[in-house]
Order: sequence, then C-alpha cells, then structure tokens
Amino acid sequence: MYFKTFSLVAFILLGISRHTHAQGLIDGFMRGDRKANLALTYSQDTYDTYYINKTPTRDPNLGTVTTQALNVAGSFGLGYDLDLIVSAPYIRSESSAGYRQKQEGFQDVSAALRWEAYDYKIGKARLSWLFAVGYTMPIQNYISDDLIAIGRGSKNLDGRTMLHLKAGTFFLTGQYGYIRRGQVTLDRAVNYYADGQVNANSGSKVNVPDVTELIVRTGIVTKPLYIDAWYQQQTPYSKGTDIAPGIPFPTNAVGFSRAGATLYLKLVGQLGLTAGYSTTFDGRNIGKSTRVTGGLVIGRIAR
Amino acid sequence: MNKSFLVLCGCFLLVSACKEPVIDEGVLPFSEPATVDADGGNWRTIVLKSTSDISVPQPAAVTSDTYKSELAQVKNGVFSLEPEKITAINYWAVGGVKRWNQIARQLVAKYNTESGNPLNATNSSASAPFAARLYAALSVAQYDALVVAWKAKYQYNRASLVDQGVTTRLPVANVPSYPSEDAVIAEVSCQMLAYFFPDETTWLKTKAAEHKQSRIWNGANVPSDIKAGEDIGTAMTAKLVERLKSDRFSAAGDPTNSWTTGLAKAPYDVKWTSLLIPARPPLLPLAGKVKTWFDSTTIAKSLPASPPATTSTTFQTDLSEVRTIASARTRDQSRIAAKWDDGAGTYTIPGHWNQLTEDYILQYRQNELRAARTYALVNRALQDGGTACWTTKYTYFTPRPSQIDPTIRTATLIPNTPGYTAEHATFASAATTVLLYLFPDETTELNAQLAEATLSELYGGTSFRFDNQQGAKLGAAVGTIAVESAKADGSK
Repeated sequence: MYFKTFSLVAFILLGISRHTHAQGLIDGFMRGDRKANLALTYSQDTYDTYYINKTPTRDPNLGTVTTQALNVAGSFGLGYDLDLIVSAPYIRSESSAGYRQKQEGFQDVSAALRWEAYDYKIGKARLSWLFAVGYTMPIQNYISDDLIAIGRGSKNLDGRTMLHLKAGTFFLTGQYGYIRRGQVTLDRAVNYYADGQVNANSGSKVNVPDVTELIVRTGIVTKPLYIDAWYQQQTPYSKGTDIAPGIPFPTNAVGFSRAGATLYLKLVGQLGLTAGYSTTFDGRNIGKSTRVTGGLVIGRIAR
Repeated sequence: MNKSFLVLCGCFLLVSACKEPVIDEGVLPFSEPATVDADGGNWRTIVLKSTSDISVPQPAAVTSDTYKSELAQVKNGVFSLEPEKITAINYWAVGGVKRWNQIARQLVAKYNTESGNPLNATNSSASAPFAARLYAALSVAQYDALVVAWKAKYQYNRASLVDQGVTTRLPVANVPSYPSEDAVIAEVSCQMLAYFFPDETTWLKTKAAEHKQSRIWNGANVPSDIKAGEDIGTAMTAKLVERLKSDRFSAAGDPTNSWTTGLAKAPYDVKWTSLLIPARPPLLPLAGKVKTWFDSTTIAKSLPASPPATTSTTFQTDLSEVRTIASARTRDQSRIAAKWDDGAGTYTIPGHWNQLTEDYILQYRQNELRAARTYALVNRALQDGGTACWTTKYTYFTPRPSQIDPTIRTATLIPNTPGYTAEHATFASAATTVLLYLFPDETTELNAQLAEATLSELYGGTSFRFDNQQGAKLGAAVGTIAVESAKADGSK
C-alpha cells in the first residue's frame, strides 16, 4: 500500500507569486528510500488587482503585473521515513503600465526535511502523520522593498505537521504550519511611520511578519495519472504594515486564500508532464493573482 | 525514533514560540555636552529682532523659602523613581532638540501619504517643500527661544542643581538652571508641531509634559525653571506662526492652476507633462515663491541659466547616459536610488538630511543651543535651496527622461514635477555645504554622501546629469549663503 508520487508537482503549484514562491513546499507523499525525482517547471502569474490591506485596488500606473518563474525542484528519500526536498526559482517580474523597472533574478533556495513519524492502517486505508522543517534563504541580494520585487528577502524557518490519508487511489492531506520570517536589510534607512515607534532612526533592518499556513489537498493518484485540488490559506501571525502608506513592503502583513488544481500524466519511462492552475480568492497586501504552470517531471510516481 | 520525534517537535515549538523582534534603538551613550556656550545669549537671533523681544521675569532667589522647598522636593524625588520615569529620563536625556526633530520626522512620514495607493492619491499633505518648511520653522523656533533662554540663564545665574549638590540620574549640561532649556524646547516644539499637525495636538502635549517632567525626575530642574521655559516657548511660537502666516506657502498648491500659464510661456523646447496615469497637476507649483530665510536677492542671483535644449549635443549625450543606465541598472545603482529616494510615506529628502545631521550632533555632543543652531542652519539652507529649486522647475518646465523616451524604466517613482533642477541634488548640496562648515572633520564622509545623493536620480532614471549638476550648483550657492550667515552669528 505504499504509494509515492511526485510531491514536487504539487508544491511547485503552491508557490505564491513573488512573495513566497517556494511556500507550500511539502505534501503528504513520502518519496521512498533512496528514490529521487526532479521537476523543471515554468509558471506565469498575473494580477491587475492587488489588496491594500484587504481592499482590492487597481493602479493604472502599474497595470498588469506579470511574474514568470522557472523553478527547479528535487526530492530525495534519505530513508524510508525521511525525505529531503530542495527548490530554487528564477523569477522575472514586470508591470504593463507606468515606468517601473522590471526585476529579474534568482529568488530563494528552500530546503526541507520531511519525516513520516507514524502510520496507521485503517482497513484498506492508510493514515500517516508527518512533520517537516524547512529553511529558505535568498540566493542573491535582490530588491525586496518595491511593489515589483523578486521576493521579500528574508530568511525563513518553517515548521509544519501533516495528516495524510490514502485509500485506494484516493488521498486527502491536511497540513498546518508556522513560517517564521527573519529580518531584512533594506537599501534605505527606515524612514517611514510606524505606530508606537520610539525612534525615527532605526537603521535599515525591518522585520518580515510571520505567518501561519493551512493547506488541504485531495485527489486521486495512480501510476500514470495524478489529479488534485487544493486550498491554501496564509494568515499573518505577527503585526505588519499595509502597502501604503506603510512602506516598505517587506514589513507588510501578507495573507491570502488560494485554490488550485494539478494534473500529472506519465509520458514514457520516468518522464512525465505536469500542468496546473490556481487563483486567489482573497488576500491582504498581495496581488489577486492567477497562475498557470507547466513542466517536466523526472522520477517515479509510485513504488 | 522517539528521540528524533522530540527533536522535531522541539524545532517546531521553537519556530512558533520565537518572539518577533521590534524596532529598537538600543542603548545610546549618555554624556554631558561638550560645551556650555556661556555667551549663547549673545548669538544672533533669526526671527526675533533681539532676545529682548521675549522678556523673562526675575526668578525667586535660591535662598528664598519657595525655592528651597522646590529643591527639596526634587532632591527627594530623585531617590524614588518608578521604572516608567526612568524610561522617560533616558528617552529625553538623549537631547530635547534631537528628540523633537525625530518626532517631527515621524509625523512628516505619517502625513506624507501620497503614495502608490491610487485611492489616496490626491492627499499629499507632507511633501518635501512642506517638510522643509516645517523642519526650518521648528528648528528656528527652537534656536531663537534657546538664545533667549541662554541670555536669561547667565543674566540671572540661578545655580545649576548639580552645583547645589544634586546628583542627576543622567549627565546634563552644567548651565544655570533658570529657565529650563528642556521646557523651552518641549513647549515650543509641541506648539509648533501642533500648528502643522493639529490632529496630533493631544499626543504632542503628552510628549511635551513627559519631557518637562523628565527634567524634574532627573534632578536637573525645579518646577519654576520649567514654568519660565514654557513661557518662552509659548511667546516664541506666536512670533514664528506670525512669520509662517505671511510666507506665501499657503498659496503654493496653486488652487487656480496658474501654473498652466507658466507652462505655456516656458522657454524650453519640449514642455513637461505629468507621467502619472491619469495626469495630475505638478506638486506645489508655487512653492518657488515662498519667502526665503536668507537674502532673496542673493539667492535669485544663484538661479541657474536655461537647461540645454533637447536638440543640443549636451542633452543628447545626457539622454543616452540615462538610457544606458536604465537598460542595465546595476544592483548598486538601484540601491543608491532607493537609499536617497525619500519619497511618499517617508520623512522626505530634507528629513533624510536632518537624520544625518542628528548623527553629527550626537557625535560632537552638542548642547541644546548648539544643536538647535546646527539644525536651524541646515534647515534654512534646505528650505531656501528647495524654494530656489522649485522656482527653477516652474520657470523652465523641463521633462523627465521617461517623457522623452518612454522605454526608460525607473528604479523609483518619477516625481510629479519638472526635472530641472533635480531636487535630490539641490537639497543634498545645500545641506552638505552647511554641514561641511559645521563639521570640517567629517569632510570625507560628507562628500561621499553628497556624491551619492547627487547622482541618485540619474541612477534611478528620473533625471538627467545636467539636472543634477545644476541642482548641486544651486544647492551649494544657497548653502554658502547660509554659511556666511553662520560665520556672523556670534557663535564660535
């Protein structure tokens, strides 16, 4: 009853526009001892509406913001109950109106360890309880305090737990995590107004608010096919600013609810194709974005 | 298995339990000011014709019963301080002039709301010209009021509490205690800022009350010192508000859109248009007509000549330079542009120079009077430099680079004003010229900052090199006028 699938496919789709491309890194399928897979995907994410705090807003000086990402991700089974997952996207982000410069470059490298702590057999179904810790850091010193930016520039520590139910071809995974985001050094002094701020000269370091994350995913998985639908919600845990006038952007309290679907088809041997779609229902200080993804996956689906 | 389970759970808890860091200034060094400037009462005032414009009554003698009981209360109070009083002492002992300048900057940032938020686009209440005027008014009021206070201090010579055997919690300047310089600063700053930001009056009054009390808690002043200081502050505010009411800034927003006539008459071959969608009238078109602090005739003589026409070689060379930078902007060029941008939501460009000035005031341990003089010089130069810059902008109405070539993408928002002269370069030169005079040992650092700030708009793609060069020249000319005035103000 052990199945494994290309967790990568799903997690790439969960990447979130510019801010947190590598979040949703982890799903409930273990890789299997000394098994590996690798995915190369391209995604395009667009929005013309963004939320200032929770108010949907359009800025004619920005038009439509398009973010293209090329993502490489791999996972490797260090043991039957322990996986290592790594990913790194290259991102290009630009606006259709106004005169803002486009941003392009490597975003953040993410690595996570996933551990299947327990599994229980319930009739023919199998329920497993997993834990994961992840770490994310910028690959290069990209611009983070701009409306069009590659990422938020913080180093993040991520802890989560998951319940994964598999019955025949059906699966259901629920996970809950906390993402602790570190500080960012801006290109400028902190010269904006913050409530309760004692000192106007606080150097260039600001804090990126932490978030909690909930993901529910369900679908079917067979050897040549994988289909899922998912819902993801990030909620700011710590206090943050709003897009304007509370600049700079890394301190924004960012949250969203997003849903999407993923499709995988095996081509030949170890090679498969993936495609996905996701859309944003609601958000805070983030673009109301829609994303399409397509890519290649090398690696076994199930064992 | 169990061990690793515990480790993972531990990590998870650790991740979720960490406390978020908050913005914190750490522990600042507290030290006695480097000088007391006993002759400070003879320094030349700015708005006041002389110190006698504000009279300070004779204080009760230190031998009087009233005074003795005041002193006894302060002495006893120093030994029984609650933690929040100690916090207040620590906060204000850093320096009243410095703290109120910080407060001013915070409020400017709070009200400088024109931003990327299109819902809020028309409401720009605290742009750079507004802020320059506010910083100048605040520091001039502080300076004049402190000159009056210094005059009275050494005239009446009420011994400092330190000299009367009180051990202050934190070091203070050993100057005669009547009237309290801190009460002067607290009152004048509170009232001046409330004039600019009436909605903040309650908050400002709380701050001022705490500032004044902190001096009693610290063992530096008795209540009658504070009262006399307050009265000077109130009288000074009235004098300065009188000047503000007639400085023509209230018309700077140009409600009748008379700038369109100026645009039609402008001698430049390609005329400025707003690059915002939808187009908006330029920022404070009549801010160039505001009354200057220094001699307006001398400033008028420093105004730059016409910019090079778009057909000239100079212009074409400078245009291709902006294009080259914009098409392959380095990370460092973006950093410099962002560092000096000081746009919407911030304390503005003049605020940035106030912040840099504060570092030197702290470093050179300037007393309150000298700190106020430093700020008054820098801020008058900044405001007059800004005024001259705005005069030039609305004489020539020259376009920004992206208007000539829409493929030029910028690292910062394009200011909604004509490009010539560049405001960053003008402000930077005006401030630096004064700072170089006041802090000659900092020449290397100041020049490095000046060079960066001057070219920041070019790196950002929002102005041409000639905008910056002429801005720098204009700023330096205004700064020099400020320096000449500083040389003759009686201080040394």
